Parts: sequence; C-alpha cells; structure tokens
Amino acid sequence: MEEELRVRLNDHQVSKVFPVKPKSTAKPVSESETPESRYWSSFKNHSTPNLVSSVAALAFSPVHPHSLAVAHSATVSLFSSQSLSSSRRFSFRDVVSSVCFRSDGALFAACDLSGVVQVFDIKERMALRTLRSHSAPARFVKYPVQDKLHLVSGGDDGVVKYWDVAGATVISDLLGHKDYVRCGDCSPVNDSMLVTGSYDHTVKVWDARVHTSNWIAEINHGLPVEDVVYLPSGGMIATAGGNSVKVWDLIGGGKMVCSMESHNKTVTSLRVARMESAESRLVSVALDGYMKVFDYGRAKVTYSMRFPAPLMSLGLSPDGSTRVIGGSNGMVFAGKKKVRDVVGGQKKSLNLWSLISDVDESRRRALRPTYFRYFQRGQSEKPSKDDYLVKEKKGLKLTRHDKLLKKFRHKEALVSVLEEKKPANVVAVMEELVARRKLMKCVSNMEEGELGMLLGFLQRYCTVQRYSGLLMGLTKKVLETRAEDIKGKNEFKGLLRNLKREVNQEIRIQQSLLEIQGVIAPLMRIAGRS
Amino acid sequence: MIRGGRSYVTSPPSFSNDAKRLLVCTGNTVSVFSAATGLQITSLEGHTALVTTLIVVPASTPAQKILCYCWTASLDGTIRHWDFSGPELLKTIDAQLPIYSMVIPSLLSEPQQIDKRRELSGKLVAFVSVEDISVVNEGSKELRGHIRRFNLAKPRVPRGDTLKETAEPESIVISPSGEFFGIRHKCKIHIWDVPSGGSRHAVSRKMTLHHTKVINAFAFHPTERVIAAGDVTGRVLIWRGFGNRKLALGNQKKKVRATVDLDNPGVRGEDDTESCTTWHWHSAEVNVLNFSSDGAYLYSGGREGVLVVWQLDTGKKKFLPRIGSPLLYFVWSPDPTLSSVVCADNQIHLLKMPSMEILRTISGIKPPPSLPRMYEGLASTVAFDRSSGIAALCTENYCVQLYNLLNDRGISEIQVCERNHQPGDEITVVVTAVALSLDGSVMSTTEVKLPEDGIGGLVSLKFWASEPDSKTFTLSTIVYEPHRDARVSAIAFHPTRSMAVSTSFGGDFKIWVCNSDKKQTDKDSSWICHAVGSYKKKPMTAAAFSGDGTVLAVAAENVITLWNPDKNILLSVLGTTLTPVTKLCFAGKSEFLVSASHFPRPELSVWNTSKLSLSWSYGLRIEAVTSAVDSSAFAVLAVIPKSFKTDESNENIFRGRDGAILLFNGSDPKPVSIWTVIKAKGGSISFLEGDKSQLRLAYVSGSREYVVFDPNSDESHERSAVDYDSLTGLEETGDAGYTSLYGQLPDYDKKRMEDVDSLATPFISSERPWETIFSGSTLNFPPLQKLCAEFFESLMEKRTAVVE
Repeated sequence: MEEELRVRLNDHQVSKVFPVKPKSTAKPVSESETPESRYWSSFKNHSTPNLVSSVAALAFSPVHPHSLAVAHSATVSLFSSQSLSSSRRFSFRDVVSSVCFRSDGALFAACDLSGVVQVFDIKERMALRTLRSHSAPARFVKYPVQDKLHLVSGGDDGVVKYWDVAGATVISDLLGHKDYVRCGDCSPVNDSMLVTGSYDHTVKVWDARVHTSNWIAEINHGLPVEDVVYLPSGGMIATAGGNSVKVWDLIGGGKMVCSMESHNKTVTSLRVARMESAESRLVSVALDGYMKVFDYGRAKVTYSMRFPAPLMSLGLSPDGSTRVIGGSNGMVFAGKKKVRDVVGGQKKSLNLWSLISDVDESRRRALRPTYFRYFQRGQSEKPSKDDYLVKEKKGLKLTRHDKLLKKFRHKEALVSVLEEKKPANVVAVMEELVARRKLMKCVSNMEEGELGMLLGFLQRYCTVQRYSGLLMGLTKKVLETRAEDIKGKNEFKGLLRNLKREVNQEIRIQQSLLEIQGVIAPLMRIAGRS
Repeated sequence: MIRGGRSYVTSPPSFSNDAKRLLVCTGNTVSVFSAATGLQITSLEGHTALVTTLIVVPASTPAQKILCYCWTASLDGTIRHWDFSGPELLKTIDAQLPIYSMVIPSLLSEPQQIDKRRELSGKLVAFVSVEDISVVNEGSKELRGHIRRFNLAKPRVPRGDTLKETAEPESIVISPSGEFFGIRHKCKIHIWDVPSGGSRHAVSRKMTLHHTKVINAFAFHPTERVIAAGDVTGRVLIWRGFGNRKLALGNQKKKVRATVDLDNPGVRGEDDTESCTTWHWHSAEVNVLNFSSDGAYLYSGGREGVLVVWQLDTGKKKFLPRIGSPLLYFVWSPDPTLSSVVCADNQIHLLKMPSMEILRTISGIKPPPSLPRMYEGLASTVAFDRSSGIAALCTENYCVQLYNLLNDRGISEIQVCERNHQPGDEITVVVTAVALSLDGSVMSTTEVKLPEDGIGGLVSLKFWASEPDSKTFTLSTIVYEPHRDARVSAIAFHPTRSMAVSTSFGGDFKIWVCNSDKKQTDKDSSWICHAVGSYKKKPMTAAAFSGDGTVLAVAAENVITLWNPDKNILLSVLGTTLTPVTKLCFAGKSEFLVSASHFPRPELSVWNTSKLSLSWSYGLRIEAVTSAVDSSAFAVLAVIPKSFKTDESNENIFRGRDGAILLFNGSDPKPVSIWTVIKAKGGSISFLEGDKSQLRLAYVSGSREYVVFDPNSDESHERSAVDYDSLTGLEETGDAGYTSLYGQLPDYDKKRMEDVDSLATPFISSERPWETIFSGSTLNFPPLQKLCAEFFESLMEKRTAVVE
C-alpha cells in the first residue's frame, strides 16, 4: 500500500496529499547561525570526572599532545588531552592557586596558598625545585614564553618575584603593587617583559632586565584585576576586573582600545583563542556561568554560552581542538573538536610504514561474487565533482495518523496520535478533524480507555497558551457530551480533579496578569504622553 | 482592448484528426490549442453568439489525417464549415434558429458509404436541436426545443422536418458508428435510427427507454447495441440489445422478433431491450459517460471529480481520483494514448491512456469560490499586478491562480491552504482575501478556518514573496491569529516600501514590515508586526495608503482616521459617513480620498484630506475602487440600482447590464466617462500601467470574464462599439460593452447632477438630518444661528421635502 502510494505521488497530480502538520512556531528574529557560533558550538561535550572542589587553574602543555594540568584543592592532576582522563596526580601542602607549563612541556610550575612555588617534571612524582620566598599565599606563577630558566610569581604580599629556577633564588623583587597580586602574563615577543595585575586596580608592566624594581608603565583598570593576558601581537593586553574586560594598547601609551561589559558577575579568567581563520578572539569566563567570546577587533561579543555553575578558570589547547572550563563546584566542562588534519597525518604516516601490508590488504579486499558485499559495492560511493547528479524525487512519508485520515478513519487517527504523545501533532490532527467537521463525532464515539487518554491529554495541555484556543473549547464540549460516561468512574476521578486544579490555576494567573496590566496601563499612558 | 477569461467548458472539445490539436469552444470563437504544449495556436472567429457544437470531420483513411475540416453550430442560428488549419471559413448555413446541439451521422458512417453518398445524392444530413424563438414568451407552455433534420449540402436550408418537441432544447448524442442518435428527456431516453440508403424520404424510427430518475448523461456503445446512462443519484444503467424489435434492420426483422422472450431482467415496462444492469458507485450525479473505442470499457465521472473506468463485462473498476472539480466531458482523441477530461473549474486535462496520468492542463481562468453567506461582499478575491497585467484570483481549491490578463493564459497556481478541495463538501476553510503589492513582488492572503460547534476556528494571515523569474510565490511568513480571533477585513500594501497594513473587525489594525529591507537576502525575509493601532475600539473595516505612502487612512466603521504609518501617530479624523465604510482608496497622488460603503445605505464619497472635509458623494453601491498611480484619476465599479434599471426609458440602454464603470478625475464630481457592464456583482476593476506608460483599465466580472481597455482613447470606443452591436440577448458572452461617453446618457446625467447638487456640501440631506448635521469638520459648519435653526427644525420632525 505504502509503495503504491509513493509511486503515485511521483506522478503529476492535480491535487496532492497534504500530511497534517503542526503549526510552525516563531523563528527568532536574529540569525541563529553565524560562522563564529558554528565554530564555538562545534566543541562536543566530553564527560570528565568531577573534581569535588573548585578548579582554580587550568594549563595546557605547549607541545603535542598538549596534556592538561588541572589545579584543584591541594592537587594538580595531569589529563591527557585526547581522552581527557586523569593520568597523574601531584599533591601539595595547601590549595593550589596557579599552574604553568614550561615552553617544552617537560616541566610545570605550580604555586599554593602557603606561598611556595614548586617545579615538577611531568614524569616524576617529587618536586624538582621548591621556591620559598613569598610571605603570603602565592597567587600566580608563570614561565616566560620561550625562556626555560626563569619564573615569575606573585602573591598576596604584593611582591612580584623573578626567579632563577636552577638556583632556586630570587633574581629581583618587583615592588610597587599596593594590594594582592592576583595575575600576570609574560610577553609573547620578549621573554623579559611581563605584566601583573593586582587588587589595587592597577596593571603594571615590568622589564626583568631592569633591576631598579620600578615598573615601566601602569594602567588603571578601575576595579580589582582578576586576570590579565597579552594579545598575540605583544603590544596590547587585555584585563579582566569586576564584570568588565578591557583591552589596552601598551605601545600607544596605555590607552584603552575597547571594553566589554556583558558579564553580570566578576570575570575570573581570560584567554586568547586562535580560530581556524587565524583570527584571534578573547574568551572570558565569569562567576555568572557564562563563557563569552569577544572579537576585540570589532568590539563585539560574537558568542555566548551558559554553563550550570560559576566558572573559575579557562583553558584552550594551543591546537584549538579542546576547550576546558573549570567550575567552582569542581565540574570540568570540556569540549573537544574533531580535528581532521591530524587524522590525515596519522594515516599518511601509517601508509609510509606499511606499504607492503597495504598492497596485501588491497588484494584481500578484492570482492568476489561469493561475498555478500560484492552485491552492495559502490552503493555508498560519493559523487565526484564533475558528476551529473540525477535526483530521485522524494516520496512523501506519511505517518500513521495521516494514513488513517486518508482512509477517513477519524477516530482511530485521533487515538493513534494521542498515543504518540506529541502535543503539536495531536492539535494538528484535531484541527484537521475540525476542518472535516468530524471532531465532535470522534469524541462521542470514543471508548472509555480512549476517553481517558483524551482527558489526560486535555488536562496536561489545555492551559498551554499555544493550544488553549482549541483545547479549552474542546475540554468543555467533551465534558458536556460525555458527562454520563465520565461521571462516577473511578479512573476519571483523578483526571478530573487535576483538570479542575489546572483550570483554577490558569484563572488565577489570568487574574493576576490583569491586575498587573491594570497597574502598568496608567504608567504606559503617562509615558506615552510625555 | 483585450477580452478574455472565457469559459472553456461550455461544450465538449474535440481533437483534430492527427490528435495534435484540440479545438475548444470559447464563447463566440473556437480556439485551437496544441496538445503538445497546451498553448493556443489560432482561433476561428465569425460566430456572433455562443458556439454550442463542434464537429471535426473524421478522417476515414490515413491519408486524410492531415485534413482539418470542422463544422460548428452556434446560438446565432448559423452552421459554419471551417478549415481550421488556415483558419478559413468555407461555408455558412443560416438555420435562423438558435442551435443548441447538432450531430452529423453520415460523417461517422463507413467511408465508402460517405463517398458514395456524397457522390450520389450530394447531401449531408444533420440533426439539430434548436430553440423555436417564435414562441419565446415567458411562462408559456409551448414546447420550445425542437429536434430537426437539416440538409447541409443545400445552399438554402428549408425549415427541416421536426422529429420531436421538448420543453427545453436538449443536447443530441450520437453513437460512434453513426447508426443511432438520441436525446435524454427527463427520465426517458429517446432513440432514433439514422435512415440508411440516403433516401430523402426514409423516416427515422424512434424508440424510448424509461427510468425512474432524471437521466443526466448517456452514451452509445461503439459496436454493439448497448446504451449506458447516468442519472442524478449516481447510478449508471446499462441497457443491452436495445431496439432489437423496433429499430431492427429490415432483413433481420422477422428473425429477431421470433427470438423475443418475455423475461428481460431489469427492463422497465415495455422497453425494447434485452437486459438492464445498474452500477452504483458515484455518490452524486453522473455527468460523464463514454465508452472506450473498442467498447470494452466504460468511463464515467461526475460531481465527485473522480474518473471511473468500468470493465464492461465484469463491472470491475479503476479510478483516477482527486481531480478536484466536477467533471463535465470526457473526449477521446484519434491517438489511442491520448484523451482529455474537462472539469467545471475551467481546466482541460490531457490524459495519457490507459494509465490515466495527467500529461498537461490547459488552464482557463478559474471560477470564483463559493463563499459562505457571511463572507459575501466582504471578500476581495481578485488582486492585480499593475505593471505586468497579472491578476491573482482566489479559487475554489484554496489556491491563488495567477492569470496573465494581457495574453489570456494561466501562469501558475499557489496553494494557499494545504488542503485538497473535494467538490460538494461543506466549506470549512475560506480564503477571504488576496492582495498584491504595487510592484507585484509580495502577495498577502488571509484565510479563515471555520469552527466546528464553536471550537477550533483559526484566522491566519500569510505573506508570500515572488520568485525572481518564474512567476510564482513562496511562503515567507505565516501569522496565526493576527488580530486574536477577529477576522481580517482588509489588507493594503505601502506603495513604495515593503510595508503592509491589515485591519480587523476586532477593533485594531496592524502595520507589518518586512525585515529584509536591510539585508539583501530574500531567502529568509520575514514580516513582523511594526505597530498596532485602534480607534475607540471600533471595528476597522478598510485601509489605504496614500500615493506617496506618508499617510495611512483606516476606516473605523464610519469614521475615517488618518495615521502616520511609520510613527503610528493619529494625524486626524476625517468626519463620519452614515454607514460603515467598506472600501478606501486615495485618488492617485492627490489629496482626495475615496470611500465606499454599501450596507445599509450605499454611498460613494470623496474627501479632501487637506481640508478634512467631504467634497461630494453619490448614493451608489460600489463594488470596487481603483486609482491611477500618477494622475488623480480614479474609477469605480458601481452596481446600477434596480429601480433605475427597470425604468422604461433606460431599458434599452442597459439591456440586462447591471453595472457601470465610472471614471472620475480628481475632485470633479462629473464622471469623465461611463461604461456599462454585465455581472458587476462580485466584479473588480484596476488600472494597469504597462511599460509604454499607457494607462489601461481592467475589469473582471463576477463570473471571471474580463476586459482590458484604454479609458482615454477613441480606438476602444470604435472596437467596443462593434462588440456592442453584436451582443444580443441574454446569452451574450462579451462582458463589457462601451455604451457611450458621458454626454450620451441624458437621463442618467440629470439624475446624477441632482444628486451632485444636493450632496455637494458636507451635509448629507436625508430624512433624519439631526443625525448628520454635525458630521464633518467643525471648520465647515455654517454660522451658529443657521445651525441652531436647522437643528431645532430637525428636532421638530418637520417633514423635509424629499426630492425623490
């Protein structure tokens, strides 16, 4: 039957079959899909173990395979970035506040709230160096981008220290901040340039080669600075403080270029992301649970995403394939992209290695008529570019209720769509029945079980705004026409009670809405007049 | 001047001998269509009234297949012989009586016989059904329909001998072999045999078959003595072996008579048949009956719009369902793989046989939808694209048909509601209005789903965007319940921007804008509500944008309000009319606004929007208003009042015409010109502005025939005058005849002038002046003393002298 129908539909017909379709819902006025949002939403969610306590810092190794260091509680866990599974744990004496990889990815440094900065080999358990000098909790530690011998750290004592790692000694104390130093970054173009941000609202630029311990430049953010990053050019920095993110031009004398204030709570972390098109974006996370992507070239927020927890830290892998966000409740929201060229590279290397086995394989895969796959060969072949495509006309797919409606079995159609539990479809079928003047007949023909199903549906959806125009009237009619069947039946008692409660609730809502309207209307009138 | 929109379905079409052409009777002419493309090739013009019969002379040998001769008969009382390849008129025979049907049996007989006959006697006998107009008095019991025999070979046709007289002229059906012909008459079928041998004196013998129901259609079997008849209840009756006794051939007579036995199953009374079987599948009347050429199958169809094929021996059925309109005729072509079925919605479908696929459709203008009573007069089912001359017409099957008025051709159909139309079903969904923007790029439709028992009604408003090249529209936006559950009363488009206004009886109007103004992508353009306005919660009944688009006029029942459409600010209120306004239109770019209302008191008023006063008004019932874009000219389609028409002196001016198109210029209350038209009720008019900046006026009548003419030139005067002379009687198919320029209707004018005099002031003198005395702008009120006197006078109920 179905096949016959399809064949006939392909022919030229004066009139066609119109399947019952639910009413289309409103489209958002703005465009939902931009290349930007497509890029950012293409990170597929990846489940990671819950780390219980707040994730204070995240860092990716700069070399492949970009393993991930996660600082949480008094532990730093190393994750492999491919599978996002924990591979190694390093424990500290106090809560870890910051973690940073060296440029070759072999070592990482971490600091904790006891003021100690420690340097670990990623393959060994014990710390290689323990740098003690901070008199208060240390808050950030950073390797210069290329330099493998020095470290920068800052803490609640307001001092920024420039360390010689091998000797575990402080080369210079950079004094100048009047409050806790919370963040800092090293210039991507010059290994001795660094910026630090502090709770005294200022960001200071230092040169480690100058031993006068005086800052080169100072920028006032206006709020306690939570994070600071260099933009890739090295001449600009971005600062996060309060709920604003500001971009500054250092070379131009510390002028503000633009600011973004679309977060509702304190911005906790900032990172620079490099997109596929080699453009870079500023990604920020905040305590309001939003991650925002900020195009600082156009001063526009291009993407925004919500997470179910306050966000503390952010990590973006250097190859752009992984995005990790740490929440205050210990959740790590990891997103991974499929990276195609990596797969291609692997294949190529595989081919190089197994040239002979490849030939072998091709012989093995030669299909013979004895194989079942012989008869399916070429079916999934993709068309090449210069192939002319002959499109087969798509047959119309009819659902069960459409088929029943086509055969004028109205009541069965209504029952079958009620079983499907898709309210939009049910209402569409009801509208079709109204157009055929058959809805009341269907209702009066329904058996008890079916009536119960209908009442259950009406009870659930009759107060939904989109359907209430039809369903309220229908509910009333059903109760009127089937009163003697419904009355005194135990199975309908609960349904009727619920229905009554729903309707009462709706009436209350309407009343309170009217009250609000009464309050607003004079205000609107006055506003319109002025 | 262009006429068109004629019905293709007044009489059955006919294929040419090579099956490549299809001849269709279209009003006074016969149009020849190509079966391969569905386009018109040529037309045979000459008849002066409706062509009723068309007979293509069949080819008897393959060599004759290229011959293109046909006979036509018409209500003008002539029979004509044509060569339609030319086309060329070969011969005209004047029968002097309106011919309703004609058959020529000798064309169908064996070829040798024809030749012999032609050579021997040189005569061609035709049987015609004529109306005897000598006894045409209304209500008389005279039998007006006559079946007569004519000899077409003779140059001058005598009166012919009458075979049968009926109350009304009936159509004659002939058997494919040319041996028998017959007519249906109420519950009976009368059958004659064609006298063979060609002797002049041979008299046709007659027999009758009886049935209990009124017979609608019947057909003869091509080879056997079998008749199929369909009645009004949907039964198909098959009589086998009819006329074995009465119409038997001479030499067989005795033998047959010997074999007659008395038990003839299913045969009624003394009918001369062997058996009668009944098939009942159709639920409504059967209109179409036709045997296949080998006689194995019977094709039947009726009001349901389903073509049924019956296997004659077994009674098994096959269907071509869902044609969507009542079937009227089914015609075979000489090519056995091609046939055609004609539907009541002015469509001719060419079918591929025997699979019964529809190959292509020759599409005429579709008839207007039948609306429920509450929508009559409120729906606007015709819209015009002024630049390209395309009309968008609502049709019965929930579509909008795009029809090119300039070359009389259907372009495409747009399914507005996703529903199939089944003829005869109760109407539950109505497309109430269609509107086109001035440049024709946007269409808007409204539809109403009528509620069942008060539940589930739905009003929706749809905006359609035109495809760039192909003249069709795609759905851009659906708005469900645009004004809650209130119905939409009117839609109007902004003349230059993509902005539209819809008004509702629920007391508000909404201004819609298209958000694709900024972005250039048409694909995802959508319409959103820009502003909502209302005036004292009164039902809004009509809307119009001014020529430059800066002012929006909305009629709130009988108050006309002027708005700024961008800022949604009420600019001013423009006086009141007596009755709710149904139509509004700005007269071009001028400041004059035309309003029309027709219930309960018809009125046409012209307002000056700069002075906010009434300029003049007439008590005319207006069907449609249109205005030119550039000039201040506007035209109205008025229905002529009954009292005026029945006036003795006007009788011969109007001749059954019920409407008039009046062309005005600006504020001048004297019409520039007047044309009278027929079927004005439900009609529509519009100016068309072509490429040549030539202003033309298009009029589509209530039955969807149309005429496009130049309102200013003399050329149309001459040509239409010819048409006017040729139009005779009630059966005229021309819809609009130019009667005269303004000066030629003295009676009419005097009457109008009086109206003008009495209504030139903003005060409308009526029997109850206190209702209207304060209407209009206060600036135009007379001095207080006068006003007071008038007001008190009116309160006294002093009888005012009524002019009429």
